[in-house]
Amino acid sequence: MKLRHYLFVIILFWGCKEKLPVIEKFGETSYKLVDQNNKEEIFPDFVKDKIVIMNYIFTNCPDICPLSTNNMRLIQERLKKEKIDNVQFVSLSFDPEFDTPEVLRKFADIRNLDLSNWTFLTGDKSTTNSVIKQVGVLAVPSDSTVFKNGRKIYYYVHTDRIQLIDPEGRIRKNYKGSTINVDEIVSDIKKLQ
Amino acid sequence: MKRRLLIIIVIIFAFNLVTPTQQQKSNNSDIQIQKAWARPAAKYANSAFYFVLENNSSRTDTLLGAETKISEEAEIHESYKKDNDRMGMRPAGKIAIKPKSKFEFKPGGFHVMLLGVEKDLHIGDKIEVVLRLKYAGKIKAQAEVRDMPMTKEMKQ
Ligand SMILES: [Cu+2]
Repeated sequence: MKLRHYLFVIILFWGCKEKLPVIEKFGETSYKLVDQNNKEEIFPDFVKDKIVIMNYIFTNCPDICPLSTNNMRLIQERLKKEKIDNVQFVSLSFDPEFDTPEVLRKFADIRNLDLSNWTFLTGDKSTTNSVIKQVGVLAVPSDSTVFKNGRKIYYYVHTDRIQLIDPEGRIRKNYKGSTINVDEIVSDIKKLQ
Repeated sequence: MKRRLLIIIVIIFAFNLVTPTQQQKSNNSDIQIQKAWARPAAKYANSAFYFVLENNSSRTDTLLGAETKISEEAEIHESYKKDNDRMGMRPAGKIAIKPKSKFEFKPGGFHVMLLGVEKDLHIGDKIEVVLRLKYAGKIKAQAEVRDMPMTKEMKQ
């Protein structure tokens, strides 16, 4: 084996041992939001001491956000199978003006999502904007469709993200929501346990 | 008597010959739609319709648009990468399908967006969408409401 082969093996082991760095911490910051049942939730306080898997969506999005949401569901099913609990799923809308609690509840219901450890969040636009700013998610209205009756909906260009947050409220890893590897996040969750 | 029987037989044959050709025209074997499915959506929300369009003819055909009773509007859309980790969606206009080729409408790529569905689309429901092509004309497609494509689910 040549030297560079040895180096490669060393780097590989290094990679495996790599811990999840802290990307951002909520610290004392918290946000007043509402869930899909219109119940007030203080985020991230209400998920304190839990590992949180979070994605950022708008329900008018028919492709990328359902993909991300469906991946959350696959992660949830996998954790159930592996009997890993103490994990909370959160989906935050960055389009709260359209995504009322009722719209979010219907979005979850029509997909038969298990909401026993999954919360959908919305709130004031200024609050959801502050949350996504802190977590590093961008969402900007772009193209739109105008219906025959004049109703107009916007499509956001947005960060396609699922995030792993540890029980201390620190963001530990970012994944692409629509193409996330379930094995990868499940092994990362185990590292945080 | 024999002549009358002969006439009847001729009539039956004529019908049998006519019917299949008419069917062929409306089925349009030049263009085929396969693996059609759509996402669940609550009433007034949006769904996306995915399928594989196969052009068996020897000329390029163009998907011009779609129609359906299931939603207020139906538009051809495309999800696109904005930069490393941002995604957007935009109207995609017309789509050319080259001769003897397949074009796949799939999650993360192209879809027919069903805007403002008229009723709840539950998993397992069947919907009908009509695709409009430049040469093949209108083609009906049946789609099942699912939360992921068939191939993926079969692999699991
Ligand atoms: Cu679309």
